[in-house]
Order: sequence, then C-alpha cells, then structure tokens
Amino acid sequence: MRAVGAAIAAIPAFVVLGALAPVAAADSMGVIERSRLEIKPAGRAFTRLSIENPLGNVRVEGYEGTALQIETRKHAPDQDALDRLRVSLVPNPDGTVRITTTADGGREVAPVARGAVRIDLIVRAPRDARVEASVSSGTLEVFNMDAGGELDTASGRIEVRNVAGELSTHSVSGPTSLSQVFGSVDAQTISSDVDLDSVAGEKLVASANDGKIAGRRVRSREVELTTVNGRIVLEGELSLRGRMIVSSLTGDVDVRLRRSGAVVIRARGAKVDLGAPMSRAQPGGWVEAHFGELTGVQPALIEMRSRRGNVTFAIVQ
Amino acid sequence: MTCDHVRERLTAYLDGDLDADGGTVVRGHLRTCEACRRVASAEAALRDGLRALPTVDPPSTLWAGVQARLAAVEVAEASRPAWRRTLARWAPVMPRFAAGGALAAAAVTVLWWRSAREPAAEPVIGPVTGPAIANPSPVIRSDNRQLAAAQDPAPPSPAPAVESTGCQPGTTGDVTAELAADPARLATCYAQAVDELLALAGELRGHWSDSQRAAFDARVQELRESIAIAEDGKPRQRAWRAMVRYLQRAIVRDEVSLASGGVR
Repeated sequence: MRAVGAAIAAIPAFVVLGALAPVAAADSMGVIERSRLEIKPAGRAFTRLSIENPLGNVRVEGYEGTALQIETRKHAPDQDALDRLRVSLVPNPDGTVRITTTADGGREVAPVARGAVRIDLIVRAPRDARVEASVSSGTLEVFNMDAGGELDTASGRIEVRNVAGELSTHSVSGPTSLSQVFGSVDAQTISSDVDLDSVAGEKLVASANDGKIAGRRVRSREVELTTVNGRIVLEGELSLRGRMIVSSLTGDVDVRLRRSGAVVIRARGAKVDLGAPMSRAQPGGWVEAHFGELTGVQPALIEMRSRRGNVTFAIVQ
Repeated sequence: MTCDHVRERLTAYLDGDLDADGGTVVRGHLRTCEACRRVASAEAALRDGLRALPTVDPPSTLWAGVQARLAAVEVAEASRPAWRRTLARWAPVMPRFAAGGALAAAAVTVLWWRSAREPAAEPVIGPVTGPAIANPSPVIRSDNRQLAAAQDPAPPSPAPAVESTGCQPGTTGDVTAELAADPARLATCYAQAVDELLALAGELRGHWSDSQRAAFDARVQELRESIAIAEDGKPRQRAWRAMVRYLQRAIVRDEVSLASGGVR
C-alpha cells in the first residue's frame, strides 16, 4: 500500500481520511499483508471506478457515502515477493479513480510464480459511481451499485447483484451470474454459463458459444439470447409490445412467460411445442401461433429457434 | 359429491386443472345444483374481470423508491447498537444452540469422567507417521487473526512450471512475464473461438443465398481489419468480441448482414 500512499499524496484534490498501517504476518506458507485506505473527494464526487486486478479477486460494494474505502490483502511466499506486489491508486479530477495491481519484475530479483502471489481487493464505493473492472482468474463481484458498469474476466467468475444502470459483462471461460439488475444488460461468454435472475430493463442481450443461458424473472422489453452449443431456459414476463429472440444452434430452447397482452410466436426447431391449439405451419419449417386478441394493439413478438434442438413454449398464468 | 366438495374444486375446475374424472363430476353436479351454478358463474365472472384489467407498467420511479426504503432500513439498522444487531441475528437459532450446548456439556462431562477413570497413555517417542499437513493455514498475527483466518481463501501454492498452450495460462514461474503475456493469451482464446465459429459458418453457408454469402465474407473481412488496427488491450478485446457476436448471429440466426454488437 506504499504505492497507494504516494499516489494519493501527489493529488491534493482528494483527502485521505484514514489509512491503517499494513498488518503483515509470516509463516511457513508465506507472508500476508492487509491494509485499508479511505479517501474522500475534496471537490467532485467519485463518478467512475476503474479497477484492474489480474492477481486475484475484486469485490465492489456500493454504499450511501461519498468516500472510497479500499481493503487490500496481499499474499506472497516471502517478504521480498510481497514487496514487489503493487496496488496503485490514481484519482483524477474528473471523478475517475483508477486502481491497478501488478507485480514488479526485473533481472535483479528472483522470479516468483504467479500462482504463489495474490492480491485481493474489497472496495466500498459510492453507489452512483460506474464500475469498470477486470480480473483474470479471480472472482469479480459487484453489489449494490446504481450506475452500471463494464466487467471483464478471462476465467474468473462474475457475480453481480442489485445493480442498476447499463451493464456489460464479458468472460472467456468464467461463469456469469447476474441478479436484481435494473437496466440494459449485455452479457457475453465464450465457454461458460450465464445465469440471469430478476433482470428488468430496456434491453437484455446474452450470448455463449459453449454454455447454458438460464433466466428467471426476466422482464426486459427487448430480449436476445443466443447460444451455439448450449441450452436456453427462460422464465419471465413479456412486456407490452416487447420483442424476444431466443436462439441456439444445437441446444434446446425452453421459454415460459407470463403474458400481459397479445403475443405472436414464431418458432423453428427439431421439434416444436408452442402449447397453443392454433399453431400454424409456415414455409421454411416455421411454426406460428398467437395468444390473445391481435386487434387494436401491436402484439409482443417472440422468435425461438434451434437448428438441432427442441423448442418449447408455454404461457404461465 | 356434496356442494361443499364441489365448491372446494370450483377454482381448479374453472382453470381446467382437474383431471377428466374430476371435471366430469363437478360438471354433473353443476347441471343439477342451482346454488353451485350461481357460485361458479360468479367466480368465472370475477376471474374474467381480473384478466380483462389493463396491465400496469410500474413507473420508472418505483425502483428508486424501493431502493430509498431499503436504504432507510439499512440506516436504521446501522444506528442500532452492535449488541442488539448481533442479538437479533442470533435470536432465531438460540433455542437450537441452547439444546446443542446442553448436549455438548453432557458429552464433555462424560468424556472427562471416563478420562479420569482411565490411565493416561504413555507418550510416543520417535517419528510420527500419518497424513502430512500439506497446506497449513497461514497465521495472521493481529488482533483479529481468527476472523481473518476464517475468511481468507486458501493461500496460493506454487505450481510447477508449465508452458502456456494457447488459450490456457502457462506457469512459467515468473509472474511479471505471465502478466505481460495475458493480452496475447486472451487474444488466442478469442481467435480459437472465432476459428471454431468460422468452421461452423463454413458448414452452414450452403443454406445461404449468394448475396448472404457475399455480405458475410465482406463483414468478416471488415471485422478482421478492426481487430488488426485496434490498440492492444481492451480495444482489441472489444473488436474480438464484436467478431464473435457477429458470427454467433450469422450461424444461429442467419443474420449475416446485420452489424454486430449488443447493447453498446
């Protein structure tokens, strides 16, 4: 945390409210150092939090305050390696705070394995700050924030709970779990699952190459879920004049919705079950059905398809 | 079947939830019982009326209000003394702890009584055999060491050096070098995913028209150029992700001429 202190001291626009002296301890398995820092903006509030921690976990928790509280835990096999682990904090006058971690190298120091060192960060931030954070294989958690964010991991897990605002998440092989998200969402993974619970907003886009997408209590007006090899299970509520496209190449598609108006459904799959007595076969292998009276209002539209999987739809009363 | 039995099943009957036999029995009773028919008519009218009500979209301020109330609860909670919060948290499980405590006390008493009656074992001198402790927990020498030890994840253990194989991280034994190699490794992951998607597109393009195939090839070329000219790091990752999403849409939904991208 020495680097943190140096960065803060150089920028008078921010006030260091408190910094606990690092608590270090050593044993046969290595050295652990904990430290805590609290800073408050002297002028403009913190509006954006940018965190890059390729060495461990990140957790951001929103709270009703203006100060930024940063708790750091470093672990290394020995004191020399610990001294090379850096956390730098750079607050900008525009309200952005940038926190990055790294491990110093150089020919004069003995190399240390990545698996032997670790930095975990817990940040308590004002709720209305936007969060942009990335980790590598660590866990990335964001709770109770109101201005959305952009979250990236390589193989680490992303967990978001009680977040409002526009949110985008990207992961190569780490699972993504989003719950109580109120705003447009874009969740993209390559080879992992996406789990959505209580998502409401203008738009929800989620995709996975090799992974399942599961959604519960989804109420977004526009929904677009896509997998290449992976099942899609969606339970939610379709908004009036909403639009939903749920599609997979090889996975089954299973959609269960509460209806609040007229709905037109179009589906294509190895086997299609729309749960409607008036399903009509259309050219190109499509099956169409509708629920509710189509006169007067523009109906909600649902398109479901799977080239090699089954497609199932049901209205839940 | 009596009127009471029928009225208990009326809602299920109207919702079509009764099986064939149950439905027949209720229907038969309704044909002969004027009173139950009136109750059924009233219930059906109520249900239809509820369904005909317009759907109300909650105002955008609803969530702000919920959050404000949650915040008020949190503030009230924070202002309570710590011992009252702790007491409130433990109150529901206190009876179980009391029972568990009584059992534990009884067990300790029995053990103490038995050990007092048995002769003490001779100390063993010499090498101790048994499972080795491979990964002892670190000791935090601070006032809150027990809490810290309980919350800490297991300390990282050094891994043997392994060469990076494309998308998989290697363990070269030098964290600085591995951090520097991260962007290239991520790019390899995306490139592998794109290659797989392009292979799938190659299988499926037979279903596309000539114009779709031409649009697809042009768009893929455009996206490849975007990747090539993007700056290292996040901009290049964004370009890779745009390519992945475009290919997913093309393969899964035949949307070959649409621009890629999600919300942003």
